[in-house]
Amino acid sequence: MANDTTAEPRLDVSAGPGMGFPAPTIDTPSARLASEDFGAAKGEKPGYGRWLAGVIAGWGAFLGFLLFMAWFFLALTRAVMWVGDLFPMNWGLSQGIGAIFSLILVLVMITATLLTMGDRKWSALMQDRVGPNRARFSIIPGLKNRPLRGLPHILADVLKMLFKEDFIPEGAWGNSFLFNLAPLMAFAPAFMLFAVVPVSPELTFFGDRMQLQVARIDWGILYVFALASIGVFGTALAGWTSNNKLALLGGLRASAQLVSYEVTLGLTLVGAFIVFGSLRLDVMAFSQGMPENAIRTAVVLAQRAGEVLIHDDSLLFGWLPSWGMVFQPLGLILFLVAAQAEIKRAPFDTPEGESEIIGYFLEYSGLKSGMFLIAEYAETVVVGGIVTTIFLGGYHLSWIEPTVMRLFDGLLQISGFAWLAVFQVFAFIVKMLFVIWILFVARWAFPRFRYDQIMRLGWKMMLPVSLANVAITAGVFLWGGREGMAWMGGLEWVAIIFFVALSAKARGETEPGIHDAHDAPHASGDAAPAAHTAPAH
Amino acid sequence: MDAKPKDERASPGPESALSFGERFYLREAIKGMTVLARHFWRNLIGYRDPNTEIMDRKGPGVNLVSTINYPEERKEYPPGYRGMHRLVPRIDGKPRCVACYMCATACPAQCIYIEAGEYDDQAIEKYPVRFEIDELRCIVCGFCVEACPKDAIRMDTGTHAPAVLSRPLAVFDKEALLKGPAVEHATDLMTYKGPLKTLPNPERGGSGH
Repeated sequence: MANDTTAEPRLDVSAGPGMGFPAPTIDTPSARLASEDFGAAKGEKPGYGRWLAGVIAGWGAFLGFLLFMAWFFLALTRAVMWVGDLFPMNWGLSQGIGAIFSLILVLVMITATLLTMGDRKWSALMQDRVGPNRARFSIIPGLKNRPLRGLPHILADVLKMLFKEDFIPEGAWGNSFLFNLAPLMAFAPAFMLFAVVPVSPELTFFGDRMQLQVARIDWGILYVFALASIGVFGTALAGWTSNNKLALLGGLRASAQLVSYEVTLGLTLVGAFIVFGSLRLDVMAFSQGMPENAIRTAVVLAQRAGEVLIHDDSLLFGWLPSWGMVFQPLGLILFLVAAQAEIKRAPFDTPEGESEIIGYFLEYSGLKSGMFLIAEYAETVVVGGIVTTIFLGGYHLSWIEPTVMRLFDGLLQISGFAWLAVFQVFAFIVKMLFVIWILFVARWAFPRFRYDQIMRLGWKMMLPVSLANVAITAGVFLWGGREGMAWMGGLEWVAIIFFVALSAKARGETEPGIHDAHDAPHASGDAAPAAHTAPAH
Repeated sequence: MDAKPKDERASPGPESALSFGERFYLREAIKGMTVLARHFWRNLIGYRDPNTEIMDRKGPGVNLVSTINYPEERKEYPPGYRGMHRLVPRIDGKPRCVACYMCATACPAQCIYIEAGEYDDQAIEKYPVRFEIDELRCIVCGFCVEACPKDAIRMDTGTHAPAVLSRPLAVFDKEALLKGPAVEHATDLMTYKGPLKTLPNPERGGSGH
């Protein structure tokens, strides 16, 4: 109907029918609409097979895209290194610059941008909603009327941020330098944090040794802690220079909370330092799977012996991958909680607290506000990367690394190690996205803690537990070495799972809308908690 | 001894209603996250039928999102829904209406305007020259349908009056209203084959049949 708004209805004012206004003839848009509009429109019901094909194609496209991006990161870094080789004085900078391009400018930046949408869309799925889907790429002909799962909203948000007025309130004029510095202080550390995260092992890619890591520094994780504390300055400065009471409250809360949880954040990783014997994140990731020469030896041995399966030396007891989460379950959980508090997301979002104080970025507008927003998501990505590196085996594809190397060796005249590296980067990205997803589920599952609850949780619960974790880890490691650590970690996992599944008796814990849908036998009786631990779909 | 006021900020003690597992929080946290994760995956890859009633959205693998994306998907109105009017056509395409003014008289909102005309050469002599309904004035009470002796106006289109950009566009004329399947009753003159002198009374049912 909107197309016909320019056509004026043919009005015959002189021959009024006595109703006070002229009546339209058949040419009018409404008449045309009415003649076409008989019967209610019915939504198209997709066939079951078509739906299944769509699900498979969608997941295939998603994973294929991630695989392509893994290849792209390696190739981009290698290309920058090739450019760097053209200059006589290189000092080995080109690999770092290439990794900055591929990892920080593409991986973290794009993931953080997509997460602004992913947060809204994932939360919608968790709450049985559709989520934002109204924006359209209306200038592109084929996509004119397609919601594209909400992707155009990212562009709409970016444009909105870019074109809003950059407003500095009068109270901030005296400190306008610090006022402008604060978003940068929040934004820059979030991206710099990713510099020490190794996304691939050191490998030979098209004839040159390289590693997808910006900086291989000896004090790797200390760099993370140092830069994470720089982020406090951003929030504190923003709250103070805004000259607004609510923003000041937000800045105060943020600085107190961040300083408190940095203690726990550091102490939970001490256990990991003890287990891996290094502060370097690349060494930690390296020692959680098979190194390159071990794979080479294992493949040669297996080929000589004519075996199909290749023995993986890095597995504990012959079957358990030596990931950090095997040794440090308590450290993993504590680190996730402390990191959630450190990136100021719910349930630890009192610094923002939209419903009570608007937050430390209350007086910011336009792109500066957007920088605070993006910094939050970039920090989420960084936490995902660090947790993956330390606790989830980093880039390692446990069990199948030698097999992948042997299977793909020579394909497209690329060595098996290059193929393996592509799959390892792919594995890293998938693990990282999984951790981010866990953080997002936690973000939407819990209501905001009160400020005193946050302080009590940080100082009176998590700090003692992390100290105990350090002491026990050190003792067990001295007594039993890595295998003893694995036994302790296994015990901790069993205790956690047992505690989650079988502790206090269920009291009327039925979730409306779910139990009548499935697992009806569990809806009543004592077996209900067990049904909750396993996703029932 | 004076009773101490309850400190709400204090940690719930052993006498609290919460069990130890609930106070430990981790178990409850993981349970809550499991619920969200289950909804997430179910809605992400679940089969979605936009036409299902909300109460029917159950069973394994079915999406729980009950939203209807309105302009693209529409919910069908229930069968008795009083929708927009239509003038019921005969089998020859002319309106069944005989311009008796019953509907215009019954209309409490006075939104129906009829101008009667006469045929010279047909068995049914009277017909509406103009038949207009102002859908903005209409209160969708359905009295016109009840009042009509010839089953000439119905509200069974299953749609509602569309939005318009100016008030005159909401006045639907005869051509716009005349739509839908034709209706012919056994008592109608068009289908009555007997002599014209013993015209059957439509209100009492055809006497000749």
